[in-house]
Amino acid sequence: MKRSPANMALRWSGRILVAAILLFVLLPGIVVAITAFNDRAILAFPPQAWSLRWFWRAFSYSDFGRGFWNGLTVTLWASSIALVVGAAFAIAIHRYNFVLKSLLEGILLSPLIIPHYTIGLGVLILASQAGAGRGFPLVILTHVLLVLPFVMRSTFISLENLDGRLELAASSLGARPGRILLTVTIPLLLPGLLSGWLFAAILSFNEFTATLFVSSQATQTLPVAMYNYVREFADPTLAALSVIYIAVTALLLSLANAFLGLGKILNVDAH
Amino acid sequence: MLMHTDRMGATAGSEAGRQGQPAVQLDGVTKRFGNSVALHEAWLKIQPGEFMTLLGPSGCGKTTLLNLVAGFLEADGGEIFIEGTLVTETPAHQREIGIVFQNYALFPHMSVANNIAYGLKTRGIDRKQIARRVDEALALVRLDGFGDRKPRQLSGGQQQRVALARALVIKPKVLLLDEPFSALDKNLRGSMQVELKQIQRELGVTTIFVTHDQGEALSMSDRIAVMSAGRIRQIAAPGDVYRRPADRFVASFVGNVNVLAGRLVERRGEVATVSVGDMRLEVPAAPLAKLAIGDDVDVFIRPEHLAVTSGRTPGSLCGTVTTQVFQGDHIDLYIDITGVARAPVLLRAPGIAALSSCPAGADVGLTVGSDDVVAFPPEAREP
Amino acid sequence: MIKRPFLGWFVSPAGLVALGLTAAMAAVFQFSLRVYIPGSLDVGGFTLQNFAAMLRPLYALAFWNTILLCFETAASTLILAYPLAYALVRTRSSAVRSFILIAAVTPLFLGEVVRTYSWMIVLGNNGFLNTLLVKLGFVERPVQMMFTAGGVIAALVHVTMPIMVIMLAAGLSHIDRNCEKAAESLGAGPIRVFLTITLPLSMPGIVAGFSTAFAWTFSAFATPQLIGGGRVSTVSTLIYQLGFSSFNFPFAASLSIIGLALSLAVIALLKQATRPLERLASAT
Repeated sequence: MKRSPANMALRWSGRILVAAILLFVLLPGIVVAITAFNDRAILAFPPQAWSLRWFWRAFSYSDFGRGFWNGLTVTLWASSIALVVGAAFAIAIHRYNFVLKSLLEGILLSPLIIPHYTIGLGVLILASQAGAGRGFPLVILTHVLLVLPFVMRSTFISLENLDGRLELAASSLGARPGRILLTVTIPLLLPGLLSGWLFAAILSFNEFTATLFVSSQATQTLPVAMYNYVREFADPTLAALSVIYIAVTALLLSLANAFLGLGKILNVDAH
Repeated sequence: MLMHTDRMGATAGSEAGRQGQPAVQLDGVTKRFGNSVALHEAWLKIQPGEFMTLLGPSGCGKTTLLNLVAGFLEADGGEIFIEGTLVTETPAHQREIGIVFQNYALFPHMSVANNIAYGLKTRGIDRKQIARRVDEALALVRLDGFGDRKPRQLSGGQQQRVALARALVIKPKVLLLDEPFSALDKNLRGSMQVELKQIQRELGVTTIFVTHDQGEALSMSDRIAVMSAGRIRQIAAPGDVYRRPADRFVASFVGNVNVLAGRLVERRGEVATVSVGDMRLEVPAAPLAKLAIGDDVDVFIRPEHLAVTSGRTPGSLCGTVTTQVFQGDHIDLYIDITGVARAPVLLRAPGIAALSSCPAGADVGLTVGSDDVVAFPPEAREP
Repeated sequence: MIKRPFLGWFVSPAGLVALGLTAAMAAVFQFSLRVYIPGSLDVGGFTLQNFAAMLRPLYALAFWNTILLCFETAASTLILAYPLAYALVRTRSSAVRSFILIAAVTPLFLGEVVRTYSWMIVLGNNGFLNTLLVKLGFVERPVQMMFTAGGVIAALVHVTMPIMVIMLAAGLSHIDRNCEKAAESLGAGPIRVFLTITLPLSMPGIVAGFSTAFAWTFSAFATPQLIGGGRVSTVSTLIYQLGFSSFNFPFAASLSIIGLALSLAVIALLKQATRPLERLASAT
């Protein structure tokens, strides 16, 4: 496009605007990163002296350690269960018509708009009425409900992009349905399944509101432990933990971007 | 530069700014994308009312050239003039050009009438006049009464007419057509071509038409610019491009052609003689200027210029029919001529007599019944 | 009859999960109609008392505040996310693209707690912004930003920004660029092209993004709880208080039900309301 002076002004003001918005997005992360290295115990800015002590405290604080392992347990179970259940269901809705199909689909996608605290409350009431305790199965069930829509969506998008003729070809070559599924469908869906699983895992690991309702002291995950910490202490330990969190997440996403193409996964690539 | 018959280019150079100035003029326009040159020093003059086609395979730079004229791309070198005015730095929305895209690009959220009115509204024309001109434009493309529909309610051919009306209603200085027929099915394509050509002639609007389809180019254009690898290879009337291609690329891209191995025998002024087997043929001498007598040449002969002779006659080629393909109004014969052509030679025999007279396996003689034979140096020698 | 291999295997697990979810929602609904017995986790008989209580100003105000907060947040997010999404889709430099994508999307995966915590450091009285303002001499004493609705909105905008950017970018990336080129060739300058072509064609993305941001804000708990500090009460903080401070689960349940109904109604209304908007765009 040609650039007259007016257009140049427009373009540059656009760039400055975008830069300012990016600053807004990045600012909390930057501030947290600086705070994490502050030697003093109160949340003050800018830091007077530097240290790594809050990182050591983050690592040694037992609630965080337990929360991390609890969270990992819940995440691995929940996202894997959601992957199997969600992918199978996505294949079924993509191929077949069956009774209650759209009702089932609507119910399973509804956690996208139902507030997490409502779901947490519901599971909690259900458990107490059934006389079940607030153990891991309860937390895992809640997380499965919450991340299932994401796995379904990601599998469904992959199915849409799958050339159905490949399965017909396999069938014409004499493969039975089970063999087609294992040798054609699933291998071709693998990138979509993987990215769906990754999404589900990251969301599950970070889920807070519903988990707050359904977890106990023994099953609390990292975000819940962090929330409880903020309510009690005001030192930069959490900042240190947040820095690690942000670094690991950004690293994972950069890897996903490099190997899977984040733009493609999120469906924002220009056509 | 390999320019063969650019008659306009030879004389109009000094006349820019005066009465007979070209509608569009490109002076050495170059466009690079990163390290690759998409368009290399394009020189082109298009006369008012002319229908100029940019013909070439995908990636040859024809769409880049179109986008440069439209103002969607910025040239890295050279100047562009529209009606004598320098527009190289002018943004697209001030160039007053009309464009029809391959996918039509109708505004999906506007009615047909609003699509057509869009360019008039940007010009601040009053409502009454807009309504009148929209109606005229709809009538021009034979879509009276379709104004209230949405683009998605129209067929492909109708959408194309709306796109054309939208581009023409602003009375553009140049009409740009970017492969407008490629999305239409074959039957519709033919009638739309006739209709478009008729409207273009009626309005006398200068038109640049981009296509990779040589049939479209030959049938619709006043002149064709054949492009390849970012360069304009030849600018000439359709007949000249077909009969006197400027180089190997043009000869093989436009129409079917057989390439036979020959030898340069003699050169007299503008005409040279080459031998193919026992046959002697006269060809233009210019492309062979760098060769010595006795050098190898490639001889290009169109299938319809070959004829079958009964038995062996002196000065003919002989070969064996490998395949015959019935095409309805003519027969395609594929003939093996060992030592002269690497692939079987295609011969177009009119009528259906050849079906019985030249069965597969028959030995036949071949003669050339036309002056439109050209020869070029063998591939490796081509600069 | 077309064969449907493995249909049962594919659908049954999902059916079980759907059953669980339905049961949980039914439990909430059922509890919303039960009598609260103070000091006990058990509930009494059926009543409509919980819903009647919601008409009291305290709760009605909480609903009104929450909806207002959601609107303000969703609208601010839209305004800030649109330029970012536009830049993401339109930039030609792949480095800039990747940077915007990572910067915009990373917060999505940080969870509400980490993000809210970082905003506490930014907004606190001794926090980043106040220190900056005081040092630069704009204000003499720190401005109260924590425990205000404005602070909550700033943090919530940050929370909903990634999903809004993703949805807007998805919408923008599906726009046919030739439509913009056609408009340009017809004499429209960049601003006119944006207002008459790009913006109306990105309407589906705007509606989707706005609705999602609205629903997320409605659902947010950690942000209003920590940054609002009890002084900004929303439906979510009320429910938590009722549930875990006074163990009044029946009332918490009825609040949930009304909250869910309200947010669904608002989103449905939004979709209706934006339809004429799309039509309007074609008239100009």
